[in-house]
Amino acid sequence: MTRRILPLIIFFVLMGFLAQSLYQSDTELPSPLIGKSIPEFKLTNLINGEFVTRDETIGSVSLINVWATWCVGCEIEHEFLVELSQDEDINLPIIGLNWKDDDRLAKLWLKQLGDPYSLVLKDPEGKTAIDFGVYGAPETFLIDSNGIIHFKHIGPLDRKIFEQDILPLIGGLN
Amino acid sequence: MIKQTLAFFLILFCFSTIEADELNNNDRIRYQSLIEEVRCLVCQNQSVSESNAELAKDLRREIKLQIQDGKTDSEIKSYLLERYGEFILYEPAFSQKTLFLWFSPIILILMFYGWFKKIGN
Repeated sequence: MTRRILPLIIFFVLMGFLAQSLYQSDTELPSPLIGKSIPEFKLTNLINGEFVTRDETIGSVSLINVWATWCVGCEIEHEFLVELSQDEDINLPIIGLNWKDDDRLAKLWLKQLGDPYSLVLKDPEGKTAIDFGVYGAPETFLIDSNGIIHFKHIGPLDRKIFEQDILPLIGGLN
Repeated sequence: MIKQTLAFFLILFCFSTIEADELNNNDRIRYQSLIEEVRCLVCQNQSVSESNAELAKDLRREIKLQIQDGKTDSEIKSYLLERYGEFILYEPAFSQKTLFLWFSPIILILMFYGWFKKIGN
């Protein structure tokens, strides 16, 4: 009897696996960088043109936000980023990584829409973005004071995602 | 008509290899095969060799630079794996997580073999 049922059981187990992957979100890939340090870099400060290294960037729990003026999702999340940067209770610096952008347009964008960033680094060639495993803007990383990545969000950030995924982590990092 | 079609594809081919011009013959072959193994993450089901997406261009440039720096294929692949995860390579790495994936065809063949044998009896 069991021998007869066995193929049927195997069939349903296989179907189970297939059904599971069918409902799995394929837009959110796990980042292998969670738990690892942010990469070494030497980038230019968009605003004053000075060189900035990785070690000068870390030091407190902060967000690293990859953005560009050509990126539609970045415009969507920008208002929330400005709100977040003004929230003194949360007090979370946001470091901008301006990805493959035009300096003039980027500065104009910050002037018109507000500047939520404590520091904006520019990566015109996209070399550092590859080191960050970035594949589409906007992407946001939560890093601790040692520069270890604890969370990565792909796509526009909003209050709901922030309160649900990022805020609970910050408490443990401070 | 055939001539025109042929010409069209030849021109396309020229564009796709133009970026590899600075490499020597051996490196160019490595470059071609590497970019065909690397998935373009932002375009469904294209390798970075086929895609014109910005990220694909950047990844091609990075692969080319690393070849010029004298990196081996496996060094370049692990560089990409560390940053983007296994999804970036079309061929999944052989690890504990993918063990079932790699052996499932053999397991299935053995199962079917056993099953057919039983039916035969």
